[in-house]
Amino acid sequence: MSIKADFQLDAKELSCPMPIVKTKKAMADLVDGQILEVSATDKGSKADIAAWAESVGHQYIGTVEEESVLKHYIRKCSDDTIDEQTFEYTIELKEAMAREGLILDVREEAEFAFGHIEGAKSIPMGELEGRLSELDKEQEIYVVCRTGKRSDLAAKKMAAHGFTKVFNVLPGMTSWMGHLTKHI
Amino acid sequence: MSNKVAIIASNGGLFDAYKVFNIATAAAATEKEVAIFFTFEGLNLIHKQGMHALPMPAGAEHFAEGFAKANVPAIPQLVEMAQELGVKLIACQMTMDVMGLTTDDFIEGIEVGGAVTFLEFAKDAAPSLTF
Repeated sequence: MSIKADFQLDAKELSCPMPIVKTKKAMADLVDGQILEVSATDKGSKADIAAWAESVGHQYIGTVEEESVLKHYIRKCSDDTIDEQTFEYTIELKEAMAREGLILDVREEAEFAFGHIEGAKSIPMGELEGRLSELDKEQEIYVVCRTGKRSDLAAKKMAAHGFTKVFNVLPGMTSWMGHLTKHI
Repeated sequence: MSNKVAIIASNGGLFDAYKVFNIATAAAATEKEVAIFFTFEGLNLIHKQGMHALPMPAGAEHFAEGFAKANVPAIPQLVEMAQELGVKLIACQMTMDVMGLTTDDFIEGIEVGGAVTFLEFAKDAAPSLTF
């Protein structure tokens, strides 16, 4: 399946360090939370892009290889730590798994594609408001993202729209040690 | 963690140039503060004419084809990119005096300094690299 990205960068046929230099420049045009797809043929770029993202504080989501072109996915982050949790009802991922309700994953499609909990429903944060009708207000819903920050916003938004059985999953997918289902 | 990378470039061949400028641009793109101190033959790498005709090591001339095939950027292009990314280029005053060179012999935008200029920058840099 093709993976959704907000921006595409063509770094094919370029050797080190050009893919990194171009990625750095391209990243300046993204706003926080957007996803950049970097196409490269430099085999070293896989390790380099991941190390670069780690070093500058962006989220490296993953890489797919299509006919010897490497496609890297990076999500722009400024400070993606949990600084404030304002939604009242929270739940641990393990406990949510043991209950009957729906796991709602509000990360971007690309992040979901590279690994999610089996059975989770994907609605990226930016689409949530327009897609609330897909959700059942009678069902318990456990909202999950990577760290608990986006899901906090999502849970608040849902509560404002009359959802009463919503829980923010903390800390999020970063703590998930179980099996990941992939769509790539 | 240090956010500085300090590099000494003291050799003047094509391979030396790639080692220096690849690391420098990669570090700058990773939001590090980078300074390169060019001394002795290293001055070749920022010399207006010299940088366009850097020698291959003896016996390695056949790699020219590999460079072309791998689509490796030319050195002047890498230097321009390094400057654009904010890499500080410092030419060694003492070596310039010995070789009878002035700032006019070098590309635009370089600084001239002595050993202490570099040491001051490098005192809290990690890593410091010598090529």
